[in-house]
Amino acid sequence: MKKRQSIFVLLVALVLVMSLVVVGHGQTKKPVKLKIGLPGSYDVTSKDIIDKFIATHPHINVEIQEAPWGDFTSKIATQIAGNTMPDVWFQENAVILGYGQRGVAEDLAPYIARDLNVDEYIDGLFSARTPEGKVWGVPHGINPVALAYNKTVFEEAGVPFPTDDWTYADLIETAKKLTVKEGDEPKRFGFIGAYAITNGWFPWIKQAGGSALDETKTKSMFDDPRTVAGLKQLRQGIEEGYFTNVDFNKAHGGDLAVFASGKAAMHFMQYSLQVNMQNQFPDTDWDVVKMPKAVNGERYVPMVGNTWLISSRASKDAKEAAWEFLRFYLSDEVQDIVAASGSTLPVKKSAYAVVENAGTKPLNKKAYTEGIAEGGVTLDENATWNEWRLLVQQQVNESVVHGKISVEEAAAEIHKRVQAVLDENK
Amino acid sequence: MHNQRHWGYIFTLPFVINVIVFLLFPIVFSAYISFTQYDLFNPPKWIGLTNWINVLKKQEFWLSMRNVSVFALIFVPIQTALAFLIAFLLNQAALRAKSLFRLFYFLPVVTPWLAAGVVWSWMFNYQYGVINWFLGLFGINPVNWLYHKSWVVVITSIALVNVWKGMGQSMVILLAGMQNVPQEVLESAQIDGASGWKQLTHIVFPIVTPMVYMVMILSTISAFQAFDVFLGLFGGITTGISEQVMVPNLTIYRDSFLLFKMGPASATAWLLFFVILAITLFQRYFEKRWVHYE
Repeated sequence: MKKRQSIFVLLVALVLVMSLVVVGHGQTKKPVKLKIGLPGSYDVTSKDIIDKFIATHPHINVEIQEAPWGDFTSKIATQIAGNTMPDVWFQENAVILGYGQRGVAEDLAPYIARDLNVDEYIDGLFSARTPEGKVWGVPHGINPVALAYNKTVFEEAGVPFPTDDWTYADLIETAKKLTVKEGDEPKRFGFIGAYAITNGWFPWIKQAGGSALDETKTKSMFDDPRTVAGLKQLRQGIEEGYFTNVDFNKAHGGDLAVFASGKAAMHFMQYSLQVNMQNQFPDTDWDVVKMPKAVNGERYVPMVGNTWLISSRASKDAKEAAWEFLRFYLSDEVQDIVAASGSTLPVKKSAYAVVENAGTKPLNKKAYTEGIAEGGVTLDENATWNEWRLLVQQQVNESVVHGKISVEEAAAEIHKRVQAVLDENK
Repeated sequence: MHNQRHWGYIFTLPFVINVIVFLLFPIVFSAYISFTQYDLFNPPKWIGLTNWINVLKKQEFWLSMRNVSVFALIFVPIQTALAFLIAFLLNQAALRAKSLFRLFYFLPVVTPWLAAGVVWSWMFNYQYGVINWFLGLFGINPVNWLYHKSWVVVITSIALVNVWKGMGQSMVILLAGMQNVPQEVLESAQIDGASGWKQLTHIVFPIVTPMVYMVMILSTISAFQAFDVFLGLFGGITTGISEQVMVPNLTIYRDSFLLFKMGPASATAWLLFFVILAITLFQRYFEKRWVHYE
């Protein structure tokens, strides 16, 4: 009888202790509501990540605001104007920088200093850092560029595959060798003459030693002869016909289709496009090497990405919950999920083993992972990037793509206009 | 009776609220923010006439006004004339399969600009487009319709696409007017020996002038508000549409929703409104000289 009483007393004590623990736990983690904005819904962000966060953070009541990408980006401006935006969401890095300047984004530098070991991440973690040291967001994922080559084309032409030691001069020479014409009609081009910023004009100006803006991001560098030289090389390739032109690409189904079908041998391909290649052109035999080296021997790997931000207008508790979510997103577990998706590169170094051992084409994924470690650069993004990038693109279209004006004229016009935008927003 | 009068106001309340919230307030607010620095995210800051002066100083505004004026000058007369001609032909009693023809001409109106833009940009393609291929059959050199060195060629090409898209709408309005032309008037004219051309110019046209006038007013307004046709053909504002072929609505859209510069965007919108108002009043001034309401 006594023994039974002792067991009963012990059990009661255990229950009391457990209750205290649970109550104590509840006091430190009080319930909080967190609104997460997901542009592109679960097509862009794995549902698995959100489900895991909800399961492991029961005190955070998560509300998902999802919408197709285009709808989300037009909706979010209205939501911000009406103060009804989510507590945490992501958009293009350049847009986030603009939000930071306008006071919409919370500076994450103190959070990062408090909770993250930055040595565990690639430099891309700080894609949204300003020259003044503010960090307006952390990456949803990074999309670097590498030199993709169609193996079949190279083998048929008896030309050795590109290597990591290539320079842009090697690329141009090989592109010329691989170009085939029948009369005036091009049958095959050496390289895809893309004209957008990431895989078009930006890598060309960087390799020539130029840049769009200076390091402080307050001065236009389009008056730098090296920048002009880079643009001219791209124009020359298109004009002389060893780079594809816009009409050819369009008529043959776009850059990827042209590359996959062997109508062009090489392409500066963003990492995310490997998913499209796998889905649309599974039979194409292709691989990648690192971006060619610039004239100064350095390697520049343009990278773009989407960036998570925390609303500066969220409540203190919601901000902490949002940061809890971002910490979770940057954890080993979630970064492995991001890596496995193949649509973007994670920023945590530990997840790169998952990327490199994926076993899918392109097999040499180190061209991306080691490429950004060696020479990852943003597209000179700053708070006015959207505005000046448009001005540059207008003139690039006129000169490089359509040849309506000379590259020198275009560069002079770009310099004048970009500098005006930068000065206006000082 | 007196007690029931308030019901009238109550019944009109939903409409009145709708007008105030969705029409009057945006008009007044856009006028206000044209005098402010406003980025959607922070409260508007009053800066007086700065936005208006800056917009008027910019070369881009004057280029866009030049482009949209030429666009309207090409689009409005061609569309009105073609719509009138087709409506007249479709109104002929002897014509067979009228419904099929009406459907054929109206089809572009219901085609989304997204699809129409892609198709036309293909047709205009410099190297592989069907138009240049066709011209090539006659030994004519290919023309770079959308990226020509001369902005006039580009604006004309776009205006013609807009004619293709909008003609059906105008045709329906004019056809409705022509169907109201008394049959006995036409028959007596025929008995008197009036030719088809004389019937068209001396009987049909004068009777449908109110419709023609309405078509011209609506076409002019829609021409100055051109947006979709440019976006559809060039594939989007972020692709870097050349300043030489920009129109005001593109700059308004870009400034407001891409660059969050609501002040300059609103000032441009109001300037465009004043231009449209002036042209509409100009058209109205000449209305009595050629439009017959009886």
